[in-house]
Amino acid sequence: MGNRRRGHTHAPKTPPLSLDTHSSDHEQDVKHRICMVSDFFYPNMGGVESHIYQLSQCLIEKGHKVVIATHAYGDRRGIRYLTNGLKVYYLPLQVMYNQSTATTCFHSLPLLRCVFVRERITIVHAHSSFSAMAHDALFHAKTMGLNTVFTDHSLFGFADLSSVLTNKLLTVSLCDTNHIVCVSYTSKENTVLRATLDPEIVSVIPNAVDPTDFTPDPSRRDNSKITIVVISRLVYRKGIDLLSGIIPELCGKHPDLCFLIGGEGPKRIVLEEVREKYQLHDRVRLLGALDHKDVRDVLVQGHVFLNTSLTEAFCMAIVEGASCGLHVVSTRVGGIPEVLPDELVTLCEPSVQSLCDGLETVIARIRTGNVASPATIHRKVRTLYTWRNVAERTEKVYNRVCREPVLPLSDRLHRLRSHCGAVAGSIFSFVAVITFLFLLFLQWLRPDHLIDVAVDSSGPHSRLGQHVSKKTSKTPNPAVS
Amino acid sequence: MAEEEFTDINGNSISLDCQTHSAFCREFTVTAPKLSLRKVMVCTCFIWLFAYAIFFLTENTAVLSSAIILTLAGMMIHIHFVKVDHETLLIIGSLGIQLSSSYASGRESTTFIEMSKLKDIVINEAVYMHSIIYYLCILIKDPAEPETVASVVPLFQSSKPRLNCLVQVYRSCQEILAETR
Repeated sequence: MGNRRRGHTHAPKTPPLSLDTHSSDHEQDVKHRICMVSDFFYPNMGGVESHIYQLSQCLIEKGHKVVIATHAYGDRRGIRYLTNGLKVYYLPLQVMYNQSTATTCFHSLPLLRCVFVRERITIVHAHSSFSAMAHDALFHAKTMGLNTVFTDHSLFGFADLSSVLTNKLLTVSLCDTNHIVCVSYTSKENTVLRATLDPEIVSVIPNAVDPTDFTPDPSRRDNSKITIVVISRLVYRKGIDLLSGIIPELCGKHPDLCFLIGGEGPKRIVLEEVREKYQLHDRVRLLGALDHKDVRDVLVQGHVFLNTSLTEAFCMAIVEGASCGLHVVSTRVGGIPEVLPDELVTLCEPSVQSLCDGLETVIARIRTGNVASPATIHRKVRTLYTWRNVAERTEKVYNRVCREPVLPLSDRLHRLRSHCGAVAGSIFSFVAVITFLFLLFLQWLRPDHLIDVAVDSSGPHSRLGQHVSKKTSKTPNPAVS
Repeated sequence: MAEEEFTDINGNSISLDCQTHSAFCREFTVTAPKLSLRKVMVCTCFIWLFAYAIFFLTENTAVLSSAIILTLAGMMIHIHFVKVDHETLLIIGSLGIQLSSSYASGRESTTFIEMSKLKDIVINEAVYMHSIIYYLCILIKDPAEPETVASVVPLFQSSKPRLNCLVQVYRSCQEILAETR
């Protein structure tokens, strides 16, 4: 932060923090200016979106400046402000597939450069390997000489053609990124192998849940029967085929057992067939797609939470289930064994037989009353995963990253060619050179000093909340108060 | 009565002229640089040389005459509809706001916004071409629901001053608005 680098030479209007200049002894006090980039953000719903939002809120609370860049969603384009002055840039970039933008490595450079320069960004934090915009931003940030951090939220295979291709792209994208964050040790192992990284620069920071959103409520349970809750998207990856094997077997054995299944997806038809075949309409309820706010209401109705995923980097659902005081039964795949301590979760092999055995032991324990109360489970889970803890650990990553040098172009080219193989390395070296020339052209066309420095709405120089503003809430305007 | 030098978002110098007629009435004029003769010459020369090159190859005089007509017509359209010499914002506390822009040809276009329709004047941000800029705008009330904003009228659209200039105009406008309320 102390040394302003190439592409970032515009002297700020406000003098840099005096704390920034002598970094080592004031390590705790360094305030960063972070730009989170991902294709996935609200109004789109999902794990990555809420991760970015919650992490940003906690970083703002710690006094950092955070802005988010994403692509425009419908008529939601331009600049918006969220709670606590979290500024979101909805940039008009073309959406290609599955809410991910098209990547050409060039067309997003002018807008992203403008964001980075006017917000005086020091660290670019990209999220999700499915997001083309995140990879673009990493590429441009490195060209502009900014420090980069990448968070990977998913696991990939190695065998099929699409995995081979995405893994190659990930190798290219991550080979000169300063630091990578994964959500579990399994995910770290996976990412290190996929992108052939040095494990030293990969950190593990798990996701978190908001424990106040998921509190137990035993009065909502129907204690005359035992309810098993499943909440997941109904897709192959989540092991819905296993679930369709479990339902008839257990329902045959236990007449007081019922299933509550929330979620929507292509495998719904499988479950409907099972329900039809075994005449279980009164005992298997399919709730369809659930809003995030309704999840808790469904969870508290159950006794046991069942997760049948076949692959999972970090399973948020079982933490939410346990936080609501349910007994968790899950498959032992991916990062799941790391998530909860052994007394809170029953792990099984991903097969119908093993899952049935696991569920039966839990049911037997519930019948004898030999189980912890929902409140006890909630108390244990409450302190395990909090967003403040995530923000603290992410802050440490930022502190480390901002002391690291950003590779100059010649070193980057060398790294690309030595790291990514002859063909891909040469192609992307060429792309890197073109991007660099394009950046020089943009700097000539519209020099940095002509881009107005944005008024901070979060961070140490925040102008929000200094005065009682009489501005309308629709266009909150920190520029002038 | 002060005239100050600012730049627009492309780095061209513009001047802001503030005139205080009375405590409730102020006038702001943003003047863009005049149409430079050199730019016109370069443009004309370029088109004519190009036309002459085509004439040299095709030996058709219609090319030359059409090039002349094209430059003349283009010039007329440019000074009449595109090139704005100065933009004026006249704010009268009890009455309303008058916006006028005068083009290089002398044509003027004026709009007036009553005080009862006006909700506020704010500085906002927008994505413009391949950059993100600040602009000053007037928020218009929805006549049915006074609390909501029905539309937004951007100010100084063609001169596009930078933030420091906008802040100055904003502050004086807010002073007047605060007094009249």
